[in-house]
Amino acid sequence: MKELINLTINDQAYEVAVAPNQTLVDVLRYQLELTGTKKGCELGDCGSCTVIMDGKPVNSCLVLAMQAVGKDIKTIEGLETEQGLHPVQKAFVEKQGVQCGFCTSGMILSAKSLLDKNGDPTEHEIRKALSGNLCRCTGYQKIIESVQAASKGVSK
Amino acid sequence: MLLPKFKFHEPKTEQEACQILTEYGDKARPIAGGTDLVVNMKKKLMSPEHVVSLSRIASLKGLQKENGFVKIGACFTVADMIEAKDIRENVNALSAGAAALGSPLVRNLATIGGNLGSARPAADLPPPLMAYGATLILKSGKGKRNIAIDDFFKSPGTTECRPDEFIAEIQVLTPPAGAGAGYINLGARKAQDCNIVNVASFICLNKSGVIDTARVILGCVGPVHLRAPAAEKILMGEKPDKVLFRQAADAAKTDCLPITDFRGTGEYKRAMVGVLTQRTLEIALDEAKKNN
Ligand SMILES: Cc1cc2nc3c(=O)[nH]c(=O)nc-3n(C[C@H](O)[C@H](O)[C@H](O)COP(=O)(O)OP(=O)(O)OC[C@H]3O[C@@H](n4cnc5c(N)ncnc54)[C@H](O)[C@@H]3O)c2cc1C
Repeated sequence: MKELINLTINDQAYEVAVAPNQTLVDVLRYQLELTGTKKGCELGDCGSCTVIMDGKPVNSCLVLAMQAVGKDIKTIEGLETEQGLHPVQKAFVEKQGVQCGFCTSGMILSAKSLLDKNGDPTEHEIRKALSGNLCRCTGYQKIIESVQAASKGVSK
Repeated sequence: MLLPKFKFHEPKTEQEACQILTEYGDKARPIAGGTDLVVNMKKKLMSPEHVVSLSRIASLKGLQKENGFVKIGACFTVADMIEAKDIRENVNALSAGAAALGSPLVRNLATIGGNLGSARPAADLPPPLMAYGATLILKSGKGKRNIAIDDFFKSPGTTECRPDEFIAEIQVLTPPAGAGAGYINLGARKAQDCNIVNVASFICLNKSGVIDTARVILGCVGPVHLRAPAAEKILMGEKPDKVLFRQAADAAKTDCLPITDFRGTGEYKRAMVGVLTQRTLEIALDEAKKNN
């Protein structure tokens, strides 16, 4: 049976009817039409469904929508402001960190979470922070360079 | 990938959780981070009628150092374990286990209680916890009981925890002066893989530099994590050095029952049990010397 719950996503309140067996990624994509969050493996392996929950990146395919009540959720749609794209998004565009784009939202959210904690990470720290996000196109190099570029931009 | 249908409960207190688990018994299953249970439910390996979230119970999320124990709430996350100074400074091999688990995304959800509750023979936290001789506090409507972690795991996926019970806390005795521990996991990749072999070792040296406590734990090479009695026997009462550690490592290879599967042959895993036993003992000795 569905139940009305309140979710806070990108600083906006949503009231949505969900069943207990619905995951957060499904509610985001199919009920709230926030399709920037992708669905890949659905088992926590690929990271394409990454969202930031209470400041921490998580696999939204493993979170029940009801468990997300009262949490502060950020999806890729919430990064852009009136000033334009987030510095990490800009860096991915400029440094060609995007090929097919399927992993990009997750990559950017994991990278943003890292840079929020550590403005000047080493390459090893970047690779570790992105180790739950798989990319099948880039061979990762361009992604790492994008995050490095963003970190220089952020720490400036 | 759809989840089977279930009723969802979110108790706010331990008492409420006890009531719900008592009422539904084996039709209910606790959920913490969901990184194991949700996967199993999506794969239709499990389909509890009632899923009882422990994540809204504040008293299960704490970490304290008290009376010589590091006490970790069952819902403490694996990511927070890596950050926690009390864990790093007192029981460092447990930090190593936490850092080896999954990916940052998984670690932000995964809990210590869920890692024990899942009872996977390849899991990363049981070896260090067994090396330190941890105690689990189980609670139910009937009260609470303490159980040594060595007695907790029954077979892959099953534990001593009854359907009406849940793990509330994990208590690890702060090792005395002269003690040290090490943990190493071997996988095919650095993240997002299942271990091929994982080993934790603990030794404590007395004032004359003789090993008076030794515990060696082997993962992935039996239906549950195994103590290595032959290796421990060789270490006890001796002064530590490379030769002794090599003998213990050889003995550990006889203490396990690795199977051949797609992750490696039994022979390879047995060889790696030796290598990891030796290396974790060396880490333990370095730490024991520093702690003297
Ligand atoms: C991509 C991926 C990679 C992974 N890699 C690793 C790895 O490298 N190493 C590793 O060890 N694990 C790994 N795991 C498994 C899992 O993440 C861990 O075991 C984790 O610690 C489980 O914690 P949880 O809180 O998410 O458990 P949940 O999924 O919530 O629960 C797991 C089980 O324990 C029970 N349970 C939960 N809490 C309690 C409690 N307090 N009392 C009694 N029973 C309880 C549940 O009923 C369930 O049966 C991985 C998982 C994924 C998806």
